[in-house]
Amino acid sequence: MSEVLLKVKHLATEFDTEQGIARALDDISFEVKAGETLGIVGESGCGKSVTSLSIMRLLPKPAGNIVNGEVNFKGQDLVNLPADDMHNIRGNRIAMIFQEPMTALNPVYRISRQLNETLALHNPGMSKDDIQQASIDMLKRVGIPAPERRMKEYPHQLSGGMRQRVMIAIALLCNPEILIADEPTTALDVTIQAQILKLLKDLQKETGMSIIFITHDLGVIAEVCDRVLVMYGGRIIEQADIFTLFDKPSHPYTRGLLNAIPRLEKPAKETLSTIPGMVPSLFDFPPGCRFQNRCEYVQTRCEQETPDLEMHGNDTHQVRCFRFKELVNL
Amino acid sequence: MTQYFIRRLLLIVPTFIGITILVFVITRFVPGGPIERMIAEAQQASMQSGGMTQSSGNGIGAATLDQDQIKQLEEYYGFDKPVLVSYWDWLVKVVHFDLGVSTRYSDPVWDTIKERLPISAFYGILTMLITYFISIPLGYMKAVRHNSHFDHVSSIVVFIGYAIPSYVVGIILLVVFASNLEWFPMGGFYGDEFEDMDSKLEQVADVFYHAALPLLAYVAGSFAVMTFMMKNSLMDNLAADYVRTAIAKGIPFKKAITRHAMRNSLIPIATHFGNNISVIIGGSFLIEKIFNIDGLGLLGYESIVERDYPIVLGVLVISAILQLFGNILSDICVAAVDPRVQFR
Repeated sequence: MSEVLLKVKHLATEFDTEQGIARALDDISFEVKAGETLGIVGESGCGKSVTSLSIMRLLPKPAGNIVNGEVNFKGQDLVNLPADDMHNIRGNRIAMIFQEPMTALNPVYRISRQLNETLALHNPGMSKDDIQQASIDMLKRVGIPAPERRMKEYPHQLSGGMRQRVMIAIALLCNPEILIADEPTTALDVTIQAQILKLLKDLQKETGMSIIFITHDLGVIAEVCDRVLVMYGGRIIEQADIFTLFDKPSHPYTRGLLNAIPRLEKPAKETLSTIPGMVPSLFDFPPGCRFQNRCEYVQTRCEQETPDLEMHGNDTHQVRCFRFKELVNL
Repeated sequence: MTQYFIRRLLLIVPTFIGITILVFVITRFVPGGPIERMIAEAQQASMQSGGMTQSSGNGIGAATLDQDQIKQLEEYYGFDKPVLVSYWDWLVKVVHFDLGVSTRYSDPVWDTIKERLPISAFYGILTMLITYFISIPLGYMKAVRHNSHFDHVSSIVVFIGYAIPSYVVGIILLVVFASNLEWFPMGGFYGDEFEDMDSKLEQVADVFYHAALPLLAYVAGSFAVMTFMMKNSLMDNLAADYVRTAIAKGIPFKKAITRHAMRNSLIPIATHFGNNISVIIGGSFLIEKIFNIDGLGLLGYESIVERDYPIVLGVLVISAILQLFGNILSDICVAAVDPRVQFR
């Protein structure tokens, strides 16, 4: 069993908004082991991005606050770490790439400056020439042709895929132990998406880093992840290794998601199955199970008590549902 | 880029002709003109002198200018020719740096303007510098401490300054600090003893001593727009993805602002920069009037009232040219701070 790098325990994050306090994350616990890829999947607003921002302490201030729990990174609790120590971890030991490569780079500075800056920050002793060379090498590694020329260009001169490669290059400059990829391919077209996913896998093989991969796309999850967390309404509702999740989805929500994927072997023009209803807003969640109003197996108990995340079968599979055991046979 | 600016420079010519021709034609059609004003003045003069020298007996005849004299005057100022012809004459003279002669002072227009220009420029440039020096840091602090007490209180102060017309601010300052407290002089560009002062330093101090109140009146209303432009633009940029990227790289928040967000926030300010040029020179005739400053604003206003068209057109030429170059300067500023801007 490989070493556990990151241990998130009972993490809860709230947003102070004009309509009141919104609990965006509730009792989030999971682990990231060295070298593995953990997927976090869920629909918009389920808290997957907030999870990553909470780990990095990048929540929009002053509205977003971690109110409970810990994020243990190799023995250090990141939630209570002094700001200066946090600066040394960000971009250096835990790096992050974002959804929108179009806006994630500063439009008024050259690529070289945006790369070199990170290296200079975390390696104060490094000479300017070495930094420049290291940046060029990194651009080469992420598959950017003619890196010397690209270094002199501005972000608007690069395509979306190129920019995401530059973002990945920036993130990997300092050899981070964990890379958080927050929907890195969502804004890209499918062929570029496949290239970026392959690149991330190859780089992971080279460096041995762990990846937390956030997406709403189960197809992407299937391609890159070792383990998956499924989130709904700010909670983890199912956690499993990739094969178990796709073979034996146990939470009604996960089953609904997988059923909603159109399949080649099914007859064409059949109506796609969907999960009825909408996600309630963070202020309107009912007590008890948050999925109750959209669940076809709902019982009175689901409306009164919150189910725990329970072990199911093998030791990596956990489900937050009172009825998952009966559902296996349905 | 160079090509673009050359084209912009060439475009100044037709724009300039358009502006001046419009004003020139208007001056022809407004009732009353320099000749009528002279006739009226002559009438007044002769009635006064006529009252005293009635015995000499040439009464009514000398009361007005005779037809020959009027014709001479019309010829002299070009009123005898069709509008476009005399516009052409005027334009040819302007191209040779001759703005004509004031109908009121009989001085060359350029000399009159040259006398006033440094005074207006002094106030204009200082006002602009002070405005930038207040607005940019203030906007920065307001954005960083958005919704704090500091933010609210400074907003109130800024809006009060913005809401009160500058001439009212001027009058209040004059009454309180010059008249009641007697801390500052009542007006003028410098004091009566200016010529007798021994050192340059003393003279400079005297000018600033006189400039304090009018500058305050100018500045009070001017930094609201700039401060809020700075604040809002910085707030937008603070929420931008690339600032989050910068922090995710490990850059501390404060440095992420100064290194990354600031330059992007200055783009709208830069767009504004060139427009200031004409404002610099224009000045406010009300403030100049209140503080008894002989600037261009007052000159322009008085010459319109007195139908001193050569001066009106002269001031127009100067401000039109400045405005036109100011626009190009704005473009250069924007291109300097924003690499995405590509002028073709």
